[in-house]
Amino acid sequence: MATNAIDQTRRMLSLVTYLRERPGAHVQDVARAFGITEDELISDLDVLPMCGTSFRGGDLLDIDTDGDRIWWHNADDVAEPLRLAADEATALLVAARAVATLPGLRESDRQALLRATAKLETAAGEVGAASSRLSVTFESEGGVFAEVDRAISERRRLWLRYYSPARDELTEREVDPIRLFAVGHTYMEAWCRSSEDRRTFRLDRVAEIRLLDEPAAPPELELRDLSAGLVQPAAEDPEVVIEVGPGGRWVAEYYPHDRAEELPDGGLRISLRTPDPASLRRLALRLGREGRIVSPPELAESARDAARAALAAYDGAA
Amino acid sequence: MAIAKAERLMNLALCLLGTRRPLSKRELRGSIEAYLEAASDDAFNRMFERDKDDLRELGLVIETVENLDGDTGYLARRDSNRLPPITLDAEEAAALGLAAKVWQQARLAGAASGALQKLRAAGMPETEDAYEVHSALEPRIPVHEAAFEPLMLACRDRRPVTFDYRKANAAQPEQRQVEPWTLECWRGHWYLAGWDRERGAERVFRLSRITGKVRSRAGAFTAEVPDVVTVRETVESWAGETATRTALIRLRTDSGYPLRARALSVRELGNGWEELEIPYGHGLDAWLVEFGPDVVVTGPEDLRADVVDRLRAVAKD
Repeated sequence: MATNAIDQTRRMLSLVTYLRERPGAHVQDVARAFGITEDELISDLDVLPMCGTSFRGGDLLDIDTDGDRIWWHNADDVAEPLRLAADEATALLVAARAVATLPGLRESDRQALLRATAKLETAAGEVGAASSRLSVTFESEGGVFAEVDRAISERRRLWLRYYSPARDELTEREVDPIRLFAVGHTYMEAWCRSSEDRRTFRLDRVAEIRLLDEPAAPPELELRDLSAGLVQPAAEDPEVVIEVGPGGRWVAEYYPHDRAEELPDGGLRISLRTPDPASLRRLALRLGREGRIVSPPELAESARDAARAALAAYDGAA
Repeated sequence: MAIAKAERLMNLALCLLGTRRPLSKRELRGSIEAYLEAASDDAFNRMFERDKDDLRELGLVIETVENLDGDTGYLARRDSNRLPPITLDAEEAAALGLAAKVWQQARLAGAASGALQKLRAAGMPETEDAYEVHSALEPRIPVHEAAFEPLMLACRDRRPVTFDYRKANAAQPEQRQVEPWTLECWRGHWYLAGWDRERGAERVFRLSRITGKVRSRAGAFTAEVPDVVTVRETVESWAGETATRTALIRLRTDSGYPLRARALSVRELGNGWEELEIPYGHGLDAWLVEFGPDVVVTGPEDLRADVVDRLRAVAKD
């Protein structure tokens, strides 16, 4: 995490309070307690001896470290725990309330979170009030979530009936769950025994779930970094080009894409990559007169065929 | 080498917290090396004002006091800056540790860890895995929208804003003047609820449709902020989730699971078809068309006409 001056100042103010209570604290322990790397802590410790109430009077913090332990030779009472800032109270309270709404959260965790939230509201006082102006709702299917959570903690395999919108079909599969995460929707990352590959499942698309007796044995995998987004198409995936009118601009909001160029009529020309262009037939049908598939031609063709076949069912409509 | 900003801020904070009497700007300048090195009085004044604002953002309550000579003095009193006593057990500490990790937005992520560090400094227990995964769950709050931070601050400080907003089906953005009330994240997208001054009504905006910069306006809110703001209900009605009627469709057996999942009734028709009664709200026509030849609308007539119209547009491409 890159450190900006604000965050570093905030941290150093807490650090002096913390160090006052713990003479000879270990660098390793302090870094862990503060959720920072040892290098970040050492760089804070380089700055602190330059700080104090008067550089001329020599009233500077006499804090030093041998790289292992930290000593503060003139600890004084400047260092009291500071009240929470509005943003600090908001960030923590909003997050705590959001996590507490997760339907599948373990009950003991939820209770702990609710107790902590109440204490935090009291300690924050009036600066906590603005936190009501920000709110987050996570969505997850409670029953499914609880089963996945249990499978992960007991390291057991799961059987799923899972809906794939791209193919409009339900498939049955056995998976070894790896983790749950929530980014808007709630997802399970798992090793799929049917495809022998890593797969991500959206919980609201799980039609049925069962805990199996077999132990889960996912291969050792490096967890994907989700900060770049859930969908990370590969460079070799085929390109799909879609042109939409003004009424189809939402496509650019919902589909991660490489490029979206403005068109003179207020529409967009959107280029995206997907391993399976056929999965976009639904989109092509949905767009109606608001857009069309430019390429690949097979995709445009299959949407056209599907529309014609559908029209045949309506008397005289074709 | 210029003295790092964090060092300067830290010094100012320690001076203001350490003093029992208000310190004048002159005294502060004499005590803090970075201020002495400032090239001019102007440069020092600008730096000092900015630093004071930054420390206030960090939660420091800095008082301004006129002394007998008419000089302005500054101090941060201990009792107004002290964290009230708070005792958290190990479970509560771990739960907050999990919560603090959910923000994917730099400012709020920084603020959340800052809050945790203050609590830690105040004696919150250190659990073995405070920063490790506490449960199998990894909730994340995504924030991709550039408009988020300025709007968050505007909501916090109750400041009116203007921004360009492009409605879902509009080619060109339009300027809106808004008194921002609350921000809400739902299904991974951020929405703003507020008072639209020109329309004289409450409106909900989707942040991803804000183009260009969010600008703060001077002055106060003109409309009263309601106690309850219903962002979600508004967004649900956009998404067609507040159905007022029902529709009758034929669906091919084994297809259309999501339609089945929300069906009010399902009847076997034979020959591989079933009849479903489903809620009919805004956007149902577009959704049904996605299923191509596996869905046939029986009624009502307006829905049937909309679906046929959409299919024709695709068939003729």
